[in-house]
Amino acid sequence: MGHYSLKINNKIYPVHIEHDTPLLWVLRDKLKLYGTKYGCGIAQCGACTVHVEGIPMRSCSIPIDSIGDKSITTIEGLSKQSNHPIQIAWEEEDVPQCGYCQSGQIMSAAALLERIPNPTDKQIERAMKGNICRCGTYSRIQNAIKSAAKKINGLHDE
Amino acid sequence: MDCMMNRRDFLRVGSKVGGGLVVSICLPAYGKFISSNRFITDIEFNKFISIDTNGEITIMLTKHEMGQGTGTTIPTIIADELDADWSKIRIEQAFYDPKYTWLEMGTTGGSGSIARTWDAVRTAGATTKALLKQAAANKWGVDPIILEVNNSKVTNRVTNRTFGFGELAKEAAKISIPENVVLKKPGGYVYVGKSVKNRITKDVVSGNMRYGIDMDVPGMVYASIERCPIYGGRIKNYDDTEVRKIEGVIDVFPIAIPQKIKDSLHSIIGYVYDGVVIVASSTWIAIKARKRLKVEWDGGENANRSIESLNEDMAALKDSPAFMSMDLGNVGPCFQNTENKILEMEYNTPYQTHAVMEPLNATAHFQDDVCEIWVGIQDPEKTINNVSKALRIPEEKVKIHVLKSGGSFGRRYAADTSIEAAFISKKIGRPVKLTWTREDEIKNDHCQPYLKNYMKAAITPDKSVVAIENQAICTINYAVWSTKWDHYYAFPNIRCYRSKVPTLLQYGAWRSVGEHSAALSKECFIDELAHYLGKDPLDYRLELLSHEVDWGDPKEIPQGAIERMLARKKLLRERQIEVLSYIKADGLWSNETLDGGGKGLAMMCFGDTVCAEIAEVAMEGELGYTVDKITAVVHCGMVINPHFGRGQIEGSIIWALSAVKYGGVEIENGAIQRSNFHDNKVLRMDELPEIEIIFIESDERPSGLGEPGTPPLAPAVLNAIFDACGKRVRKIPVAKEDLIESINSIAL
Repeated sequence: MGHYSLKINNKIYPVHIEHDTPLLWVLRDKLKLYGTKYGCGIAQCGACTVHVEGIPMRSCSIPIDSIGDKSITTIEGLSKQSNHPIQIAWEEEDVPQCGYCQSGQIMSAAALLERIPNPTDKQIERAMKGNICRCGTYSRIQNAIKSAAKKINGLHDE
Repeated sequence: MDCMMNRRDFLRVGSKVGGGLVVSICLPAYGKFISSNRFITDIEFNKFISIDTNGEITIMLTKHEMGQGTGTTIPTIIADELDADWSKIRIEQAFYDPKYTWLEMGTTGGSGSIARTWDAVRTAGATTKALLKQAAANKWGVDPIILEVNNSKVTNRVTNRTFGFGELAKEAAKISIPENVVLKKPGGYVYVGKSVKNRITKDVVSGNMRYGIDMDVPGMVYASIERCPIYGGRIKNYDDTEVRKIEGVIDVFPIAIPQKIKDSLHSIIGYVYDGVVIVASSTWIAIKARKRLKVEWDGGENANRSIESLNEDMAALKDSPAFMSMDLGNVGPCFQNTENKILEMEYNTPYQTHAVMEPLNATAHFQDDVCEIWVGIQDPEKTINNVSKALRIPEEKVKIHVLKSGGSFGRRYAADTSIEAAFISKKIGRPVKLTWTREDEIKNDHCQPYLKNYMKAAITPDKSVVAIENQAICTINYAVWSTKWDHYYAFPNIRCYRSKVPTLLQYGAWRSVGEHSAALSKECFIDELAHYLGKDPLDYRLELLSHEVDWGDPKEIPQGAIERMLARKKLLRERQIEVLSYIKADGLWSNETLDGGGKGLAMMCFGDTVCAEIAEVAMEGELGYTVDKITAVVHCGMVINPHFGRGQIEGSIIWALSAVKYGGVEIENGAIQRSNFHDNKVLRMDELPEIEIIFIESDERPSGLGEPGTPPLAPAVLNAIFDACGKRVRKIPVAKEDLIESINSIAL
């Protein structure tokens, strides 16, 4: 057991928990931040994606002991009023079917646009292929990413 | 269901507490069909639609929202008939209650949510509108004929004065249900046919959407179960010494339902694997602690079986006596005639796993003899029944809260997680959340059954197919191809046999069930016949559909159902012809050969929906082939929400393509050899083919879209692979080894 002080969504959360607990289960079971989803536990599906210092990472595979004072962003903290360009695009495209994988998809997509503001189709595929969607919303995800990129870059459809 | 149209019988009007209108919907007559006896007497009326004096409208959702979108579309249909302001509509999930089990006994599945509630929900919406209109007429002292309703307002067309629904709710509650209401005609819809936005989207993008797995009950503990990896296996013994040393482990105990009780449970829905339960202070501790558990299983008969031995068992049944499920014309002489060419092929569709995105789970709280369960589930009624039997408590003491789920695809019909969670909570006397790991979900899945299908045709020297014989060998009695009422291609003589081998895995529903397996053999064999006869695969199908099958004496069909079945067959034959004709007329299926690739066609009916798909493949890539484009042409009657409709077909294609590329399961010593997404692969974004979807324009009643896109995909791809390289693959998944021969021959 160890005492940790986690910086999540710009808030400090004191946690007393086993050293090897993956961040995912700290978020869900301890802090009740249920937006981050459990999907596979072995970093294969992307449902649990969060940002660690802005980098998209699979929270199911990050032991709490390795986090230190790095700042973590979950879907709940991506924007103040769910108005990140990616979230807006997701709403406009009406992407979700069951929605379960979508917070992970959104976190991966937001990080992609942070790194590459105007990604090519191949870059989108490469950044997003770690996120599985069993409902098959992939084409809508691609469209949403492209439309968010356009907005961020000030481009508009003719 | 004529009784539904008698409004007085199934609708009732009442007042809300504190004023307002409540319209209840129920079918006392239909209640007689509800399976559990306790529901037959004293059916209470629910509050299906209610309108507050402030104009807020609440619609109860009686279906399980699992990604198919009915949580939005059914309310849209009601709002349309009600001419309500969509923004004033609140959708509330109905707590599972027999009061809401009208139609389908509360289940969600079979692509039938809209098709089966279409009449009832429209009538409820239109009746509510009629009450509001009458209330306005009473208030103004005018004839309702001069009033019009739109956007939650009733307007007097003479004076232009208006009342909002809220202002009329109190008055409307005093009016009795009108005998007749007029439903809208196609063309008059406001929301139906438009891509109304999904009501869950906002919560999904903000991270606030809650699924079963996110349930939180104060004071709850967490559980994980180490289950027997073999279907039918039992616990021999276990050692939990090391587990109990782990800080945070609260309790360890076996779950092993006695055989006598097991036998009383539903064979599919009620099956629960033996296991050892670990209860802990967090999910992580419970999962981690399982590694220190030592369990010895008695695998029973299945422990010595593998997928190879099952395959041999099935093949051995080929020439054994089987149940004849269909016998039209006189097949025998056609195959005995030595002048006829006999073409015989074997097709294999293996077990399939679900890998639903949200791992299985259930939360239960057993206290004061009442067991409350929170779970995303497709069949709460049978779940209550099976939990009650498994725990030996009365059905009235089991309460189910239906939560949203992260994809079901048939897997959440099963009551296993509910039984397990209820059992654990009863044992420890505390609320508990049970979470299956991904590994549990794959290793203890209720898989799509395995079908081995032999198709045989007798062809005369002048190239006419005079007889078809089919022998379906399955791990369950449900090969659709062998069902008398599902043939449409009019061969003069048809005979079907069906036999069953003991299953090696627990089975369950999987998106498009038997149609998926049946479509592969049927549509690949038709393609083979077309090529043998030198005919175009599309024209050949049209030719076969241009005659009606002579059904002879339909002995197996119960009295009264014959007319309905024949009407359905007629509708489906027409829709298949329409779909193929559309493809032909639109030039979607051309004769030109694709450079370095090929194209294939397949079609299947699911429910009353027909879906044909054209696959375009290229012989390249890691697997030896890539699927580059799928064109789907769908006839499902009216499309309620085009965005959702396209989503369902797209999703079905991607679902089925995962099975073509990576499906099936390896089984050794009775146990599934896959465990997670690294070895139970599913389609990822970088493998997405281009998908084009065309809905045949129609005013006919909607017939369902959740599954029909799945069955034609695999045969279309297999037929395209043949077109590309001349190699017939008669099974899925399709691996590189299956194509080696042809790749070599192309290279030569």
